Amino acid sequence: MADQNQQHGRRPHFHRGRRGPDRRGNDRRHLPPQEQQPSRDHVDVEQIMREIRARISQRHGIDLTTQQIQELAARRLEAILDPRTVKPSLLEQLRRSAGAPVEARPADPALSYSFEATTLYESPSGFVRFMRRLLQPLLKLFFNPNPLIQAMHTQAQINQAALAREAERERRQAEWNALHYEILQRLVTEISRTSLETQGLSMRVEALAAKVDFNERRVRGVENTVHLARPAARTDSAPAPHQPAAPVQPRESTPSDTPTADVSAREGSSEGGRRRRRRRRGRRPSMGPLEGQAPPVVGDPSAGGVAADMDLEADIDEEDDETVAPEEPTASATPPAPEVPEPAYVIDRFVSSPPPEVSTSVPQTSGESSPPAPEPVAPAASDLASPPDPHEPTDSGSGT
Amino acid sequence: MKIAIVVQRYGADINGGAELHARYVAEHLAPHADVRVLTTCARDYITWRNEWPAGTDVVGGIAVERFPVARERDVIDFRERSAVVFKHDHAIQDELAWLDSQGPYSPSLIARVRQAADECDFLVLFSVRYHHAYHGARIAPHKAVLVPTAEREASLGLAIFPPVFRGVRAIMYNSFEEQALVQALSSNAHVPGVVVGIGSEIPVAVDPDRVRRSYDLRNPFIVYVGRIDANKGCADLFRSFLEYIERTGRMLDLVLIGTAVLPIPAHPHIRHLGFVSDADKFDVIAAAEVLVMPSPYESLSMVALEAWALGKPVLASAKCDVLVGQCLRSNGGLYYGDSAEFSAALDTLLSDPHVAAALGDHGRRYYHEHYAWPVIEGKYLEMFERLRTSPPTHVMQPLPNWIERRRRTVPPAEAVVAQLPAGPSRSTARVDAPRHAPRAAVDAP
Repeated sequence: MADQNQQHGRRPHFHRGRRGPDRRGNDRRHLPPQEQQPSRDHVDVEQIMREIRARISQRHGIDLTTQQIQELAARRLEAILDPRTVKPSLLEQLRRSAGAPVEARPADPALSYSFEATTLYESPSGFVRFMRRLLQPLLKLFFNPNPLIQAMHTQAQINQAALAREAERERRQAEWNALHYEILQRLVTEISRTSLETQGLSMRVEALAAKVDFNERRVRGVENTVHLARPAARTDSAPAPHQPAAPVQPRESTPSDTPTADVSAREGSSEGGRRRRRRRRGRRPSMGPLEGQAPPVVGDPSAGGVAADMDLEADIDEEDDETVAPEEPTASATPPAPEVPEPAYVIDRFVSSPPPEVSTSVPQTSGESSPPAPEPVAPAASDLASPPDPHEPTDSGSGT
Repeated sequence: MKIAIVVQRYGADINGGAELHARYVAEHLAPHADVRVLTTCARDYITWRNEWPAGTDVVGGIAVERFPVARERDVIDFRERSAVVFKHDHAIQDELAWLDSQGPYSPSLIARVRQAADECDFLVLFSVRYHHAYHGARIAPHKAVLVPTAEREASLGLAIFPPVFRGVRAIMYNSFEEQALVQALSSNAHVPGVVVGIGSEIPVAVDPDRVRRSYDLRNPFIVYVGRIDANKGCADLFRSFLEYIERTGRMLDLVLIGTAVLPIPAHPHIRHLGFVSDADKFDVIAAAEVLVMPSPYESLSMVALEAWALGKPVLASAKCDVLVGQCLRSNGGLYYGDSAEFSAALDTLLSDPHVAAALGDHGRRYYHEHYAWPVIEGKYLEMFERLRTSPPTHVMQPLPNWIERRRRTVPPAEAVVAQLPAGPSRSTARVDAPRHAPRAAVDAP
């Protein structure tokens, strides 16, 4: 059986029944919450300040200035544009055009000419101009220059209109580019800001989840404290068999807590088993049965606790030494229950004959000689007031 | 052993930091040496107006010689000269003129210091930024033990001070941060120096209930003790506190003790008690939840030490390296850089009595280990003994000649200070420990 304990990662069997430092090996579980509280000497200013600043940053999310967000957005914008499909200089060009005023490109002087009726006869030289004007009637005897002048004049007007349209189109395009760039930049900025807020919110969610987890553990710790205190109260009342009810009231039994068998036979020793179930339920609220194991059986005292891990087993094992003692006498007096599904964390079967001194001060659960019995249930209030079992431990210090 | 303590003001009713520091040192060294105080007739540190009669006086059993201030401070002139030397390139002569303008300008005191240098074994000079300390150190550098009370402020960057830091016989620092600052400024590691600080006259018993009744302090409160001034961070304190009250709705008061230079917001949760007696001050601190110290410039916060001596946690400004360093070294206080941190730190202290009590305990232990009077006295006496038994190994660098003093090549003091290393020191190891100093005196504070 000791090998089996080792195989399951549990505390070696020789620890069982021992008390004090020699009982607490290296695998000692964490201290109960009230002992985990740091002493006064353990307050560290730097640690407190780190926690304070972490809380503030959690509350504020990722705290970046507008300038930092815009820089981040600019980097993201560059990352969005694929250099294989987008001209690398486009972004810079857009950035420049977004801030700069729109200027019309100067028209090509070769296109923006004018052609009038006298254009054909113009010359820089005044004498040439005079001679051409003098001989103009003679020239018109040979051909008619008016259609040519008209066509050239029309073409000049067409060129002017085209240039104006082109300038207007470029101006509008520049405005659109600036607008598009501004929109794109704002979009990326907003996306960046939103993603930062999302990160901040996710951090808050994590923090809240951690708080919830912490609170759950705290509740469990408080429950644990109450459970640890209960056997003491019971053992205190043990020497006085006619005292009224013990101060600790057991919880209400839920259907899953109530086994179908041996309830009446194990009334006085069922508290430890109930404690086990509560711990399992609290510790692994959503955990199902382990792979390869049967699901919990309705009515089985071990229901809901099949998937207990080794850590839990060690915990229960340790607690069982101190608090589940009443099982031994009652189990030996109770006929073995046939074919009860064996819970994965049943520890009684690993306990062989306990040392004699332990049998008085730290009663053990039923030994392996007796078949596994169904889990006990928590006693009713009246059970605690019932006359003590002759095998009830009288060591008031045990289990506390 | 004869010791002359030279300080700008001296009196039983003067509660300024350096002046109180000097008085405590004089009174605690008196049983061990023949102590004499040389000071001015001024009571007001802004005008240096002569208010005490010149001559010899006895204050707390200590002989005090007062000398008149020849020229009161011209505030406008001082402001203009400060702007020149702090913000612009200037000359050494400008700095000397600034020093004269700041005062207290008392040629008779300087003459007496020159005479006392022959009579006394040591001159303990307080506050290097003042006229008497600078010129006193230059008059008798081989006997000058300087208590610089230097802070990270612009005047520390003046070029006239590093030669003094390198030339005096020894320096008694108030904190490790001050020591690091001065050594970075002047490279004076060869000058014997020790971080001493100052103790306080902590009453044996305090009665918090008495002041709660007498001042009608019904709510829990945090307390600020000192001059209520924007330069002390009080404006930020008011803003942060009111934000905290508005956000949390907590029934908490801010109690202010000291003279108000700054208008105090009219708010039901802010109480100004004015100037109170020492007994009341200690009782109020003992009744408070937390002592808050918002000042960004402190060479050593005596009030914080007093709060720690009474087992109270301190909430200090993170802008002050000295306070942050003390909080870290003592493990006895928290610090804040902005309103959010103020709220969070205050919440931590108020909502977790365990933490507050633990910080207070640490502070009390820190005070008694490092700032109890036997420790302080021991450091001074060890230093004097060391200086007496060993000859001076360095000399004071003379001032530049007439032409050099007028070259406008000195950088602005603010720029110099900005380049000095910043940050609190967690180290408790002294850089230059006296060879014969006891261990407790070397490592502390």
